[in-house]
Amino acid sequence: MTATKSKHRPSELARAQARTGYLFVLPTAVLYLTFVLAPVVLTCILAFAYYDPMIGSRWVGFDNFARFFSNGRSVQILWNTLRFTFFAVTFNVSIGLILALALNRMMPSWLLYFFRLSFFLPVIIAAAFVSIVWTYFYGDDLGVINYFLRVVGLPGVRWLTDANQAMTSIIIMDVWKNTGFFMIIFIAALQGVPRNILEAAVMDGTPAWRQFLRITLPYISPVVFFCIVYASIGALQVFESIVILTQGGPGDSTRSLSILIVEEGFGSFQIGYAAAISVVMTVLILCITAVQQLVSRKWVQQ
Amino acid sequence: MQTRAAKRWIDWAIILCMVLLAICMLLPFLWLFSMSFRPVADAYKMPPSFLPPSLDFSNYVAVLSSKVPFVRIYLNSVLIALVVTVGQLVTCTLAAFAFSRLNFRGRDALFFILLVGLMFPAQVTILPIYLGYAKVGLINQPIGLGLMYLTSSFGVFLMRQFMLSQPKALEEAALMDGAGYLKIFWRISLPQLRPALSALGIITFTQTWNYYFQAKVLLGKQDQMTLPLAMDVLRGYMGAGNLSVVMAAMSMSILPVVLLFLIAQKFVIEGITMSGIKN
Repeated sequence: MTATKSKHRPSELARAQARTGYLFVLPTAVLYLTFVLAPVVLTCILAFAYYDPMIGSRWVGFDNFARFFSNGRSVQILWNTLRFTFFAVTFNVSIGLILALALNRMMPSWLLYFFRLSFFLPVIIAAAFVSIVWTYFYGDDLGVINYFLRVVGLPGVRWLTDANQAMTSIIIMDVWKNTGFFMIIFIAALQGVPRNILEAAVMDGTPAWRQFLRITLPYISPVVFFCIVYASIGALQVFESIVILTQGGPGDSTRSLSILIVEEGFGSFQIGYAAAISVVMTVLILCITAVQQLVSRKWVQQ
Repeated sequence: MQTRAAKRWIDWAIILCMVLLAICMLLPFLWLFSMSFRPVADAYKMPPSFLPPSLDFSNYVAVLSSKVPFVRIYLNSVLIALVVTVGQLVTCTLAAFAFSRLNFRGRDALFFILLVGLMFPAQVTILPIYLGYAKVGLINQPIGLGLMYLTSSFGVFLMRQFMLSQPKALEEAALMDGAGYLKIFWRISLPQLRPALSALGIITFTQTWNYYFQAKVLLGKQDQMTLPLAMDVLRGYMGAGNLSVVMAAMSMSILPVVLLFLIAQKFVIEGITMSGIKN
């Protein structure tokens, strides 16, 4: 809708348009400034301070960051979070893609409704709810999964009480919960792959895996990148599933950055230190997004 | 090269596998629903059941009469989710109309700044918000949690995507006829956007219903909690014995979201793909 179309009074119309524009954006702008931009800036400032309104705050430079990176425990927690992110993203996105490929064929619409329902239901129910269910699935002696393992003659697994197993169990639940989201996105992306090219490939007798690698994958690669970034941003913030399944244990084996932020910031009121940890998390997210932008730009050029 | 018959056979084999997998995906939900109808004494009886043994609502009654103020907590969740949903429908639609239909200076820069917000996790905003809320007395106030989310970058982005995919002819004609922008927005754009509004509404409601990290930080008192927090509290109160009662509370807690999705699956899927694909 351009102002030039009305030839009589372009400037007046343009001004009215601009006025309406600012007015319509105003509520969002004010709220966004108050609850997103200003807090982000303040957190970045707090990260360089020792904050204590009672005794008095002071600048401490990079001390909070130094404390984070020199402490064995917090480095392990950072490592836990990165490990969780790597595996959760890899499996969520790849399994989501495999499921989408499996469902990308002709079927009755009620069947498609059923598939979307069962794979997407875990996505829309809070992890806080389903994690409690999974606590009982993962139980040692009374757990549902161990019951079935014993029925088929396998030894039970200490899903949540073994420090070497607990993170894997959390990743398994995370994939159950989130992979349906990526499946839905990939189904839509696959429908955009030009059919005539695929049909031509079939006529030429190109094997299915080669069709996928040469035609389908390049075509949907922007969506794959989007999914990887989206999954990473979510996984780096992992909180409630761990809080409910293991409370970060056994030991610190499943503790994540988000749990550490809450413990330091709201448990021991180390506000500056907690701010520094959240800045580290945000920088990780920004880096992943930047890498994705670079890689996908290069990919598209090829 | 595969024959046509072989291909059809493979298709059906894959669909059969997917049906089995889909049923497995549903098992946790079937289990919790079945458990909510089991007598408390049978909660740990093996084998686990995935269908309700009877329709005995005594566990549900037990939740409502427990020491945890479940009804109050439920109402908190409903209040926050409704306020946020209505708020976002208004603010995001207005902003999206401006970003997709109107020309003004700084428009694209503003939109870019708003999009950057998609990358900031709640973790990086929660400390200052907590400190600010403590000053103005909004800690332990459910409405405080709602206030934070009256607009969202995602909502504006989603609505803008929808609006850009709509034809502008009708709006331009109305403009030529001398209609004001407010009238065009209200009379012409909004009615066309009904599917988009449904999508955003359902996604926002669900998201708000599920907030945990923010709620845990801001809402500590039992009276002021939301449902995701209450589950863990209830589990503690009930001890290991009353698993069935916790599952009854859980069934009631996930009900609105499940119903919304059953009824309006199409809109949710459309909204999700709209935001994912056209990035």
